Amino acid sequence: MSPLHSPSRAVVRLVAGGMLIAAVWCGLFPRLLEVGPVKRHVALMEERRVDPSAMYYTELERLPLRPAWVDDVLVLWP
Amino acid sequence: MRQGLHEDVAAVVIGLAAVVLALAVTWAARPAEEPGSRDRHPKGWPTPLAATVGTPGTWTDQPLVAFHGKGGGLAITPTLLGMGWVVLVGGLGTLLTGGSLRRFLLGGCLLAVLACLAYVMASQKLVKYYNLEYPLWALAVGLFVGNAAGVPRWLAPALVGEFFIKTGLVVFGAEVLVSRLLALGLPGLLTAWIVTPVVLVTTYLFGVHLLKIPSRPLCMTLSADMSVCGVSAAIATGAACRARKEEISLTIGLSLFFTVIMMVAMPPTIRAMGLDPIVGGAWIGGTIDATGAVVAAGESLGKEAGEVAATVKMIQNSMIGLIAFAVAAYWAGWIDRDPGGPRGTLAGEAWRRFPRFILGFLAASLLCSWLHSQGPEQALWVEGATTGFTAKLRGWLFCTGFVCMGLQTNFRELAPLLASGRPVVLYLAGQALNLALTLAMASLTFGWLFRKAVEP
Repeated sequence: MSPLHSPSRAVVRLVAGGMLIAAVWCGLFPRLLEVGPVKRHVALMEERRVDPSAMYYTELERLPLRPAWVDDVLVLWP
Repeated sequence: MRQGLHEDVAAVVIGLAAVVLALAVTWAARPAEEPGSRDRHPKGWPTPLAATVGTPGTWTDQPLVAFHGKGGGLAITPTLLGMGWVVLVGGLGTLLTGGSLRRFLLGGCLLAVLACLAYVMASQKLVKYYNLEYPLWALAVGLFVGNAAGVPRWLAPALVGEFFIKTGLVVFGAEVLVSRLLALGLPGLLTAWIVTPVVLVTTYLFGVHLLKIPSRPLCMTLSADMSVCGVSAAIATGAACRARKEEISLTIGLSLFFTVIMMVAMPPTIRAMGLDPIVGGAWIGGTIDATGAVVAAGESLGKEAGEVAATVKMIQNSMIGLIAFAVAAYWAGWIDRDPGGPRGTLAGEAWRRFPRFILGFLAASLLCSWLHSQGPEQALWVEGATTGFTAKLRGWLFCTGFVCMGLQTNFRELAPLLASGRPVVLYLAGQALNLALTLAMASLTFGWLFRKAVEP
């Protein structure tokens, strides 16, 4: 664990880092969203209601269930 | 300090209490009409607890939009209540383990604010749609604050990251439903239950014996992350084998980096190979680490591929309870054994060292799996309680746990791990094996052995 740094240096570092994060998240990332392939990827995900940030299946917009068409294509229990 | 419960026991007590609370409240508010209809309740019964644990929403260039409700107005209360759960769980844990609630509170509130900041960073549209999950930003926020400003003394009593992770894991157990294993019949079982353990064990042995990585917990955490289900598997097995903070952080960073690459690269590769979409979906489901990225890549191939990919991943997800238990038992029985220590029976020694929170995790999983298998109404009951409440609660607990990890990690401690390059080689070698074996098994099961003949 890092010891506490001098207050003035800590404030300067936190403010500088915070500004950098704000610039990237609020400036750079929104511009990248306008780049062709990125824009198409996001549009497809929104159209299909997919949340790519889901860590586990319970976080998905739709819970995965056995698709109805699977029984026509696969023998699940021979 | 007052004598209190062991941290693991406190995590089990609080975690199981949260699961029981979720089930009880959801049952009490069960819908009067068509309680067994999945069409009416696609994510299970609505639970009133959902309103008490929100997370920031998606935003593009204005972070405040993350706190807007569906109508567009400011709706910060659910997120504030989510932060409240962090303080409540941390405070209860401090009390149960014999600590001072007064000394915890201020630091606990700051941790909740930092966890919220990590969630806001993770919900930016680009970050969200490229699967850079909240644990990465929670670690980054903690690392940044800890290394830029240091950790004040008053914050130290609140830095109970392991407790937050362990409690989150017990709560997480409610989502690990064994009944999900049979969702895709024998083809799904074979793909998940043969390839996954083979890749897990082979990658672990490769790291320990051939690459000679000195840390066995790092090899195991990395192998489980890559072969099972990404960050959630890294958290569960990392805790089960007592991996260090830096090792779990490194694993999550590597996993998310390669997940983004695979999510983008696999769909065009599958198209270029001319693979059947169902086989391609199963391949994606068995290889990409993170669930969200699996669905994203699968849907890029098409609806059928997306559905198969998501279901195969869900089957793999369901293995995490068994794998965490097996890893904990192996570590307690063999790896952590002291050759010079007093001799007892192997089982007795293993039990003495066995991490108790894993039992809470399994208890939650078995209880909810049993309930889920009792009928359509019970299935919707469990799904409502987990998707509406426990999934979000464990998200906040994991996020706070990772903020603590970041705050307690020094950049310099990560350097030697990265400098050798061996963890990256281990990940790449394991993933190469995973890709090859899963493709072979998916082609065999989904493409040939269990495929119905197409009528001319």
